[in-house]
Amino acid sequence: MKKLLLISLVVLMAVALAAGAYAAKGFPKRNITAVVVWGAGGGTDTCNRIIHAEMAKFLGVNVNVINKTGGVAGSVGMSHAYSKPHDGYTLCGLSESNVTAGVQGGWDKKFDVWDTFIVGGSPDVISVTPDTPYKTLKDLIEAAKANPKSIKAAASGAGSIHHLNLLAVEKGSGAKFNFIPYKGSAPSQNAAMTGEVSVVVTSLAEQQQLLRGGKLRALGMLIPSAFDVEGLGTIPSSFDAYPGLSEYLPISQAIGFAVPADAPEAAKAVLVDAFKKAMATDKVKTWAKENYYLLSGKTGAESKAVFDALESNFAWTLWELGAATVDPAKLGIPKP
Amino acid sequence: MMVFERIGSFFGIVFHLAADPINIAILFGSVLMGIIFGAMPGLTSTLGVALLTALTYGMDTSMAMVCLLAIYVGGTYGGSYASILINIPGTAAAAATALDGYPLACKGEGGRAIGLTTTSSAIGTTISMLFVVSISPIISYFALQFTSFEFFLLAFFGILISGTLTSPDLVIKGWIAGFLGLFLACVGRDLLQFYPRFTFGFSELDSGVEVVPVLIGAFGIPQIIQVLKDRFQIGETQKLQRIIPEIGTVVRNIPAIIRSALIGVGIGAVPGIGEDIAGWVSYGTAKNTSKHPETFGKGELKAVLASETANNACVGGAMIPLLNLGIPGSPPAAMLLGALMLHGVTPGPMITFEHPTFIMEVAAILLLASMAMFVTGLLLAKQVVKVLRIPTQIFMPIIGVLCIIGSYSLGLNIFNLYLMLPVGIICYFLTEMGYPIAPLVIGVILGPMADENLRRALMVSQGSFMPIFQRPVSLILFIIIVLTIISQFDWYRRLKDRAMAKIRSRGNTCEVILEENESER
Repeated sequence: MKKLLLISLVVLMAVALAAGAYAAKGFPKRNITAVVVWGAGGGTDTCNRIIHAEMAKFLGVNVNVINKTGGVAGSVGMSHAYSKPHDGYTLCGLSESNVTAGVQGGWDKKFDVWDTFIVGGSPDVISVTPDTPYKTLKDLIEAAKANPKSIKAAASGAGSIHHLNLLAVEKGSGAKFNFIPYKGSAPSQNAAMTGEVSVVVTSLAEQQQLLRGGKLRALGMLIPSAFDVEGLGTIPSSFDAYPGLSEYLPISQAIGFAVPADAPEAAKAVLVDAFKKAMATDKVKTWAKENYYLLSGKTGAESKAVFDALESNFAWTLWELGAATVDPAKLGIPKP
Repeated sequence: MMVFERIGSFFGIVFHLAADPINIAILFGSVLMGIIFGAMPGLTSTLGVALLTALTYGMDTSMAMVCLLAIYVGGTYGGSYASILINIPGTAAAAATALDGYPLACKGEGGRAIGLTTTSSAIGTTISMLFVVSISPIISYFALQFTSFEFFLLAFFGILISGTLTSPDLVIKGWIAGFLGLFLACVGRDLLQFYPRFTFGFSELDSGVEVVPVLIGAFGIPQIIQVLKDRFQIGETQKLQRIIPEIGTVVRNIPAIIRSALIGVGIGAVPGIGEDIAGWVSYGTAKNTSKHPETFGKGELKAVLASETANNACVGGAMIPLLNLGIPGSPPAAMLLGALMLHGVTPGPMITFEHPTFIMEVAAILLLASMAMFVTGLLLAKQVVKVLRIPTQIFMPIIGVLCIIGSYSLGLNIFNLYLMLPVGIICYFLTEMGYPIAPLVIGVILGPMADENLRRALMVSQGSFMPIFQRPVSLILFIIIVLTIISQFDWYRRLKDRAMAKIRSRGNTCEVILEENESER
């Protein structure tokens, strides 16, 4: 009897100790949920699944990735994640396109209620139909300058990131294209392949198969550096020929996740630490290389600056295009 | 030699996939889930593929493809259940099937119709698989001939043909219904310049009218009211019969099946449009080439065969541009593109170099999925027909609840219900007045495509309609559309009859001509 009592006492103490150790460990005590606001299989979803799988190893708990799509610019998922307790246990997987939710009437806050973690994104590239005479970016821009609005250029939907990149190319080089909007990157690339349009701007990840298959010809990366593509060679930076572009570009994808800014600092610090470690793993690096992503790894004030710039650029461009329902000034978004 | 090698490696992959019991379990599970998704009004195969994509994250690529392609094939087939048994298409793809499937069920041949759809769907999928393996690069070249004008004409043709085919009395009524659908499709912010049209300040209407609530409201509500009003119990009339495939019927219709499958593959390969339009075009072709077009719409087995073969053949067709160009050929294929990216496979022209066996693998999975669908379908058919024995007073309210859930489940949006109900009531009165409903729904589905592409085409051509006549594909489409329209006019029919009579008489005997000449004098 005594023995049994002793054993149960020991067991009890062990449990209590373990529980104590568990409590002392601090954040995170239980599994974390990441709410991705875009559909499964999309860029944001894939990216979140990769990074959270790695972060889970450093956090010691699982990060469950779920998708909550709908609304305007992912507003349903963002509202859902924001309505949960701001304790760091609910993250929101998002991308640069979500900054338009405010001016499109789906989200009544400025984007800085989030603390963002940027994994990275695939840089945009400007390409042409192979049977057009434009061999370099200079050919294209000079032709467009000589005959403004004569060359048709495609990008997904007015106000999308690729459209913003195209607008920046126009501003930085002085050329004027005839912009034809499409419903997404795939249809706009399709239009360039059929020859319906001559120029297309989408991300390298979306275009690489067609570039390497010879269905499209890349003229320049819309980032400050050149990019090596296996089996194709180096795509030069557009900035080489037109240094003026650096004033408006790069406008890069910023895919990652966010946590409400008023979450406990301790929890945020743990997340930042795990995020930095995860970004340094080979798995994430290999994935980025295979998928033509440029890794960023920005957090805190750095990523805030990126998102602030994106928000003001997107919001005001949409407002000027007449595509926004809410005045960005009302949301307190400064002009770019 | 190449061909034999390919066939050899193809069957190698089939056996390799089939040898893994987990694959087989997933295959049958996904097909069954697909059939359920297809058969439930409001749940579509697009939604099924989308929901399952996240679950496949932990699987390896080929297992994930087994899962997703099986649910796609199952969902496309499953839509026919609801069409045949309750006259409410489970998916838009099966709308054409309802035209003759439901009359068959009313005649007591529901089981026979389902048995036949199962066989024809399996054959359709298998034929489309053959195209994926053999000549997919040629077909994807053909898919690249489609620019905005062609997309517009194709969408317009889809609306027109469904209007032409479904009218019980006057064809113009079908077209009116189609244009009502087109009008509904205009509601919302326009896709090119974001200008809000007919939204009356409701932000819920900004993104346009959702297809699923319209589909359910338009087909479901009138049907429920109708059946409850007539107190019609179709279950009592069901004959007990074998549901085993009727080899005889299938063999007799081989040319029709192959034609329907070709239509399905062709339309599936065109980017952006899919099963729904394939079903209609195939139905139309079957009706126009039939010796007894008057039996269509009254329970013609050939009609069910045509639409079901084509919509399932579309699955393989949609894979062709997806795999070879990275352009999804249909809405569920767009979801599949996402799933492939999730697994690190980027489809496109380089896929044969980066993943040499991948296209073969997809074809092998399609074959397995169609076999699994065939087996599951035959096992289910006899059981689902029993659903009709449930008393109408109980059955129809259940269908009503399912309709409401189906509309609401899409984005959990209560506004969809506010949309579904008025659409349903309006459609009930339209049905009472003899207006067909299917063209209205097709109008809502294809309307945005027609609208967006026409306006984009005019942007590209700077306001000129001339490219319609300069581009071969659009010219052909234009001529077909014009013929479809004028063939409905009396003077054209009279002209045609006279011409036909002349040709026939000329062929028969010279005497007739002589007589004719005499009489003319």
